[in-house]
Amino acid sequence: MLEIKDLHVSVDGKKILKGLNLKVETGKVHAIMGPNGSGKSTLSYVLAGRDGYEVTGGSIVYNGEDLLKMKTEERAAKGIFLAMQYPVEIPGVTTMMFLKSALNAQKRARGEPELDAMGMLKLVRAKAKDLQVSEEMLKRALNVGFSGGEKKRLEILQMSLFEPKMAILDETDSGLDIDALKLVAEGVNTLRAPDRSMLVITHYQRLLDFIVPDRVHVLAGGQIVKEGGKELALELEEKGYADVVKVPA
Amino acid sequence: MSAAAQREARRTEALDSFRVRGMPHRRFEHWRYSDLRAVLDAGQVAQAGTAKWNIEHLPEGVELFDLSVQDAPEWVMKTLGHVGNRRTMVEASLAFSEGGVALRVPKGKHIAEPIKLEIGGQGNLRWLIVLEQGASATVFEPHAHDAGYLRNVGVEITLAEGAELQHVRCAPLAPRSFTVELMALELAKHAKYYGHFANFGSRLSRTEAHIVLGGEGAEAHLSGVAVLGHEAHSDVTTHIEHAAGKTLSTQLFKHVAGGKSRAVYQGKITVRDGASGSDSRQTARALLMSPRAEADLKPELIIFNDDVKCAHGATVGDLDPESLFYLRSRGIPEKDARRLLINAFLEEAVDVIGNDTLKETIWHDIEAALPRAMEAAK
Repeated sequence: MLEIKDLHVSVDGKKILKGLNLKVETGKVHAIMGPNGSGKSTLSYVLAGRDGYEVTGGSIVYNGEDLLKMKTEERAAKGIFLAMQYPVEIPGVTTMMFLKSALNAQKRARGEPELDAMGMLKLVRAKAKDLQVSEEMLKRALNVGFSGGEKKRLEILQMSLFEPKMAILDETDSGLDIDALKLVAEGVNTLRAPDRSMLVITHYQRLLDFIVPDRVHVLAGGQIVKEGGKELALELEEKGYADVVKVPA
Repeated sequence: MSAAAQREARRTEALDSFRVRGMPHRRFEHWRYSDLRAVLDAGQVAQAGTAKWNIEHLPEGVELFDLSVQDAPEWVMKTLGHVGNRRTMVEASLAFSEGGVALRVPKGKHIAEPIKLEIGGQGNLRWLIVLEQGASATVFEPHAHDAGYLRNVGVEITLAEGAELQHVRCAPLAPRSFTVELMALELAKHAKYYGHFANFGSRLSRTEAHIVLGGEGAEAHLSGVAVLGHEAHSDVTTHIEHAAGKTLSTQLFKHVAGGKSRAVYQGKITVRDGASGSDSRQTARALLMSPRAEADLKPELIIFNDDVKCAHGATVGDLDPESLFYLRSRGIPEKDARRLLINAFLEEAVDVIGNDTLKETIWHDIEAALPRAMEAAK
């Protein structure tokens, strides 16, 4: 699904990723764990194609294609989805209108027929219920005045609507209490599929109790320094990062 | 003295006054961003003749008087050339126009259908509207695309006790023209004025409104958008005078400037001694779409009373890169994402228009103007 080789990335001239290697298998859930400042968010932004993240070396191949040559919106249409740590508030754009614009833009790019307002409403209603996203939320401006939990639920609702091939969840657990976390994790788990890979990026092991990964990778100092099964997450939680990983200089 | 003779006398007075003061220029306090003298001389204004007006269909219940007829009735005479102070371009429109239109809505009459007052051609023009006690109306004032070289319009609006006027002025793209419109308004007790000024780019456009909230509880609500590209210059200048107690004014202007265009907003609020319990709010924001576009936003408050609430804010900025990334990461192409964010920026200033059809008209014009405004400077 996704293969990252020797990736070097700088932000504002500062080297953040320093030779990162990672292989994500189709249909698997991979977790990236790492201390603050290790480059977790940078990795997620580079995959989604955010401006200002300069790739100075290495390659990312996504389903046989060079991901780095694709525009941000093109990546989305081809199935890359980033659930953001801090979803932005956009006053003046209603949530429903945003969802429709986004889904139809992706469909258009793929040459699929677009959904009309009625079709969209039906689809969103069906998916919104399980995630406890209310009609009222859909009518409000995008993320404006949403609680932390509501914002994350809306991210997962988008994931469910867009049906990505490669979903990246950046610190999805941050700012959530345990009930909100369970709800979000449940939403994510129902989206696990044989043709869908996930990259779950988190600082804490807590989220991985609910979204159990197939593989765990430890990111420190801009590189993947350790890999293992789901038990690696527990080990990290017990011993802390310092004991498990030797941060390269 | 007959009405015709009175008008002639007033015209002579206006002519003298304009001759003495001449064209407004940078050193006039309120013309510092729009130097009219640099692009036009007084002779051109004098020779421009009279611009055209047209009302295709006059809603029932509205009285109309054609100002080219000299023998005007008393209600016209009381208003024409008497509302507001005598600024130099107002005097010019009075001195050099042969015609124009006066409208009146009688006491207690509610006119639901908008009065569509089309303005076209070049030259000077006057129009006025009088709303008697408790009357209400909507005036839609679209300007023609072919504005001609110069258009100078003087407007007078008087709202009697409890009267309510909605006024939507729409100036479309007219890249070769100079358009000046100066409005003077007087509001009596509990009268309400809702004004929306939309501008889509002239070589130089000046929209100026002087509003006196003269009676207790009077309200003025101004809003507007400018969507500019190329070398357009749009200047909205307002002066709201809170002259009585418990008066309220709100202003919300949103401007988008691309290319080498320039968006100006100057908003002066004066709160008089007797205006206790008054409330004024003003917000002006500009979005710059190109490094060579410019916005000048200048709110100004002059307060002679302690018991008032005043709030103002002005910001100039670019589209938020975080929002842009968010939308693109959801598959929305960059150009569409920009449009979506510009529309979102303008939304609250359009949404306040009380008439849905007119709101749609303005959105339609915004859509048409956006491609130009989204261009960077050539």
